Amino acid sequence: MATLVQVDDLRKEFGNVRALAGVSFNVEAGEWIAIMGPSGSGKTTLINILGGLDMPTAGQAVVDGVDVARLDEAGLTRFRAQKIGFVFQQFHLVPYLTALENVMLAQYFHSTTDEKEAQHALERVGLGDRVEHLPGALSGGEQQRVAVARALINHPKLILADEPTGNLDEANEETVIQLFQELHHEGHTILMVTHDPSIGNLADRRIEFAHGKLKHILTPAKLA
Amino acid sequence: MFWRLLWKLLRGSGGRLAVAILSLVSCAMVVSALLNLEFDIERKLTQEFRMLGANILVSPRNAQINGSSTAEVMSESEVAAAIAASKEPAVVAAASFLYVVANAGKTPVVVAGTKLEELSKLEPAWRIEGDWKSSHDLAASCLVGRNVARQLQLVVGSPLRLTYLNENAQFTVAGIVDAGGTEDNQVFVGLAEAQNLANLPGKISVAQLSVSGTSNSISRYAARLASALPAYEVRPIRQITEAEGDLLSRIRLLIVSMVILILVLTALCVLGTMAALAMERRQDVGLMKALGGSIGRIVTLFMAEVGVLGAAGGFVGAILGIELSRWMGQRVFGTAISSRWEIFPLTIVLMVAVALAGALPLRLLGKVKPAVIFRGE
Amino acid sequence: MFGRLVRESFIRNPRRKLLTAAALVVGMAVATSTLTIALEVGDRLAREFRSLGANLLVTSQSDTLPVEIGGVDYRPVNEGAYLSEADLGKLKTIFWRHNILGFTPLLDVPTLVSSSRVTSTTLIGTWYQHDVPVPDGTKFKTGVSVTHPWWKIRGQWFRDGSNEAVIGAALAAKDPDTFAIGKKIQIRHSDEASAARTLVITGIVSTGDAEDNGILVPLSFAQGYSGHEGQFRQLFISALTKPADTFSERDPLKMTPTEYDRWFCSPYISSIGFQIKTVLPGADVRTIRRVADTEGNILSRVGTLLWIVTLAALAAAALAVAATSATTVLERRGEIGVMKALGASNVLVAGIFVAEQLLLAVVGASVGFVVGAVLARGLGASIFGTPASPRFILFPVVLGLAAIVALAGSLIPLRRAAHFNPAPILRGE
Repeated sequence: MATLVQVDDLRKEFGNVRALAGVSFNVEAGEWIAIMGPSGSGKTTLINILGGLDMPTAGQAVVDGVDVARLDEAGLTRFRAQKIGFVFQQFHLVPYLTALENVMLAQYFHSTTDEKEAQHALERVGLGDRVEHLPGALSGGEQQRVAVARALINHPKLILADEPTGNLDEANEETVIQLFQELHHEGHTILMVTHDPSIGNLADRRIEFAHGKLKHILTPAKLA
Repeated sequence: MFWRLLWKLLRGSGGRLAVAILSLVSCAMVVSALLNLEFDIERKLTQEFRMLGANILVSPRNAQINGSSTAEVMSESEVAAAIAASKEPAVVAAASFLYVVANAGKTPVVVAGTKLEELSKLEPAWRIEGDWKSSHDLAASCLVGRNVARQLQLVVGSPLRLTYLNENAQFTVAGIVDAGGTEDNQVFVGLAEAQNLANLPGKISVAQLSVSGTSNSISRYAARLASALPAYEVRPIRQITEAEGDLLSRIRLLIVSMVILILVLTALCVLGTMAALAMERRQDVGLMKALGGSIGRIVTLFMAEVGVLGAAGGFVGAILGIELSRWMGQRVFGTAISSRWEIFPLTIVLMVAVALAGALPLRLLGKVKPAVIFRGE
Repeated sequence: MFGRLVRESFIRNPRRKLLTAAALVVGMAVATSTLTIALEVGDRLAREFRSLGANLLVTSQSDTLPVEIGGVDYRPVNEGAYLSEADLGKLKTIFWRHNILGFTPLLDVPTLVSSSRVTSTTLIGTWYQHDVPVPDGTKFKTGVSVTHPWWKIRGQWFRDGSNEAVIGAALAAKDPDTFAIGKKIQIRHSDEASAARTLVITGIVSTGDAEDNGILVPLSFAQGYSGHEGQFRQLFISALTKPADTFSERDPLKMTPTEYDRWFCSPYISSIGFQIKTVLPGADVRTIRRVADTEGNILSRVGTLLWIVTLAALAAAALAVAATSATTVLERRGEIGVMKALGASNVLVAGIFVAEQLLLAVVGASVGFVVGAVLARGLGASIFGTPASPRFILFPVVLGLAAIVALAGSLIPLRRAAHFNPAPILRGE
C-alpha cells in the first residue's frame, strides 16, 4: 500500500500558544485513522492543516505527494477541491440550498456540475428521496449524510472528518458511522477526529494526542 | 449553477438586504428625478431667461441714429421673410420697429411702430396697465410709456394725436407701459400706422428677436440669420447672452454636485449593509473555501448578487423617480417637465456602480480564513 | 457601573463601531454641506445675477420726456431736469446700503468731433472707478465696472477727473485712424463761438449697445463741457435683492406697521427702490423690469429646487445612518444574549446601547460637520468662485439630526433584541 500522508515534525503556533509541537506520522492509502485526545490537544489543528485550511508554522505535511506547507493560496484552493473531502461536526450545509444543490456546490467549485452524479451520490447515502429538501427540513443525521455525499462527490484522495457524530443523537450516530464503515470497505482513506472510544476502536489505528504532541499510536484489537 | 446560487443567495438573505434595497431604490428615485430635471432644466431655464427680452438685434449697417429721425432703414418684408425662413423653433418672439420722433402737441416724443401683439411676447417682463389686448381696434390703439403718460397727463382711454411733418394720426391710449427703461419714454403704435406717419412704407429701423437656447446656439442662429440678410447687421445682445450662459452653467453644476453627493451617500449606505451581510456570510464563505472554492469565484458570486440588487433597485427607483420629477417640475416650474427614456438605463448603470462600490467589504470576504471559522469546534 | 459598562462597550471592538462612525461622518458631512450651500445659494446666485447689470434706474421726476432711441438721449442739453451728484453718497446710508453693489451716473452731451468721416456724435459722461464720498467719512468706489460688467475695453479706461476718453467700438470703426489709442481728438459744441477741447484716447470699448456710437469721458469732464457742474441725468444702480412676491409688490402706504417693517427690512427691489427715493430728492426710481423679474423668477425657482434636493440628501443621509446603526445592533446579538443570560434587564441593555449610539453620534457628527464645512467651501469655490463660509448654527442642527437618526435606526432592532431568547444565541444559532 502506498503512503498517502506523510507528516514530518509538523509545528503550529498561534502567538504564544503551541497547538502542534512537532508531530510526525504516516498514513497508508485505505487506512482509517482515528485521532483522539483531550480538547485543546491539537487534533482540529492537525486536520485543518492536512486539509489545507491552515498553514503550519514549520515542518512538512505531504498529502498524495503534495507538500501542503509549500502551497500558495491558489494552490491550496485547488488542493482542497481535488484531493480532500471534509465532514464537519456542525454539518455546515448552506441553509438556503437544497440537499442536491449542496452536493452540487462541491462539484461547482471543483469543475462542472453534474446533477445526475449528485443525485447518485445522495442515493448512495440513502437520501435519494430527499434531494429537494432544505437542510432545515432534514434531521441531524440526514444533514450529515448529505455532508458525506458532498465530501465524496469529487472522488477525493483523503476524507477528513472532525467529530462527525458530535451533534447527533444515538440513532443517527449509528447510521452515519455505518456509512463511514462502508466507505472504509470501499477503500477510502479516512482521518477522523473523535473523542468516542467506541468509534476509535473501529479504526485501523488510533493516534493519541496530548498538548500538541503525539502520545502514542495504537492498533486497536479488532473483533474478528 | 452560478445563476442558481445567485438566486438562492438573494432569496436567502431577505431582511438583511431590505435596507440595502431600500436605500438603493430611494437613491435611484432621487437621482433619476434630479437627472431628469438636469436634462430639462436647461430648456426650462432658458425659457425663464426670455424674460430678459430681446437677445438678437437686426439693424442697418453702421446705424447712426442721430438727431431727429431715423437715418437708415431696412426693408420690412425682407427681414420678415428671412426670419420666417429660418424656421428656428427657439424663436420665442420677433418684432420689427420703426422709430419716428413725432410731436404730441408741442412735446417731441419717440414713437415706435410695431406689431403690438408681438411686443408683449417679446417683453414679457413689462407691466402693462389696461386691458389693451381685448381692444377692438388695434390700428387706432397705442401703448404709452409711464413717463409719457405722466408728462402728457394721459390715462387709459385718453386720446392722443401725433403729428410728423405734414402727417398726423389719432390714437386712443389702450395701455400704459412700465418697463423701467427707455420704453417708458416711448409711444407704441401699429407698424403700418407709424410707417404712414413717417411716410416710410414697408420700412423698419430695427428688428428684435427673443431666442431661447444656449449662448452657443443663439450665436449660431444669429450667424445663420446674418447670412440670410447680408445687407444688414445681425448680432446677439451681449449683455444678455453672456450672463445667461454663465448662470446656466453654474446652476447645472450645482445640481450635478448634489447628485454626486447623494450617490456617494447611497454607496455608503449599501456599504453598511453589505458589511453586515459580510459578517453573516463568513460561515458560508469559509465553507465554500473549504470545498475548494477560489477567492475569485466567491467574490464574483457576491458581487454579482450586489449587482443584481443595484439593477433591480435602479429600475424600480427610476420608475418612481419619473413620478417624483413630475412633481418636482410642477413645484419648481409650475409646468410639467418632459421625461427622458435615457434616464432609465443611466439610473440602472449608476445604481449598479454605486452598489458595487458599496459592496467593497464583500471583497474582504476573500481574505476569510476557513480555519478561523471552524476553530470554534 | 453604568458609565463603566458604556465606556467599556464603547472602547471594545472599535472595528464594528467604525462602520457606524463612518456612516455618521459621511452622512453628516453631506447633510452639513448641502444645508450650508442651500442657505447660501440664494445669496450667491443673486450676486451672480448682477452680471446682468443694473436693476434700478433713477431719473429726475421733473425731467421732460427724453428723446431717446437706442438708449442715447438726443435732447438739447439745456432742456430738462437734472439730479445732483453730491447726493449720491447718501445711497450708502440707506438701511440696505450693503446691498447697493454699485451705481453709475450718466450725462449725455451732443458734440461735434474732429473727424473727417464723422462730424457729430455724443459725449457720454460717466464713472469708471470713481470714489464717492459717503456721509460717514468713508469712500465708496463704483462705476461702470459694476453696473455694466459686460463692457469690454481694449486699452485702458480713462482716469477719473481727467480729459481722457474711451471711444465706442462702432464709432472707432468708422474712422480708425482718428480714433486710435493714444491719439488726441478735438471736440466742440455746434455753436460756432465755442472753443474746442482736447481729449486723449486711452481705450476703445465694446458695449454691444448704443454707447458703441459715442465717446465716453469722465463725468466731471462732461459736466464742465455741458455747463452742468455737479449734475447728471440718469443713474443706473445694481442692487442685491430678494425675489419679489405678492407681498413685496403691495403699496407700502397701505400696509400695517408690522407689514411695513417686514417689507422695509427685506431686500425686495421695491423696498430698496423706496429707500433710495427717500435719500435722492426729486428722483424717480424705477425697477428695470427685465432684469429684476428674470432674476427674481429664476432665483426663486432654483431656491425651491435646492431645498427639495437638500431634503432628499438629508433623507438619504438619515437612511444611511439608520441602516448602519441597525446592522451594528443586529451584529451584536451575541453580546446582548450574554448580557440577558447574566440577568440584565431589557432597559439596561437598551440603555447601554442607546448611550453608546449617542456617544457615537456626537463624535461622528462633530467630525462630519468639519468635513462637511470643508466640502461646502470646496463646492462653493468650484461653483461660485468664492468658498462658502461655515455656518456654526448648523452644528447643533446636525448633531441633533445625527442623534435622532442613530437612535431611530437602532431602536427597531433593539426592540426585537428585547425579545431575544439568549439560549439559541449562546448555542451559536
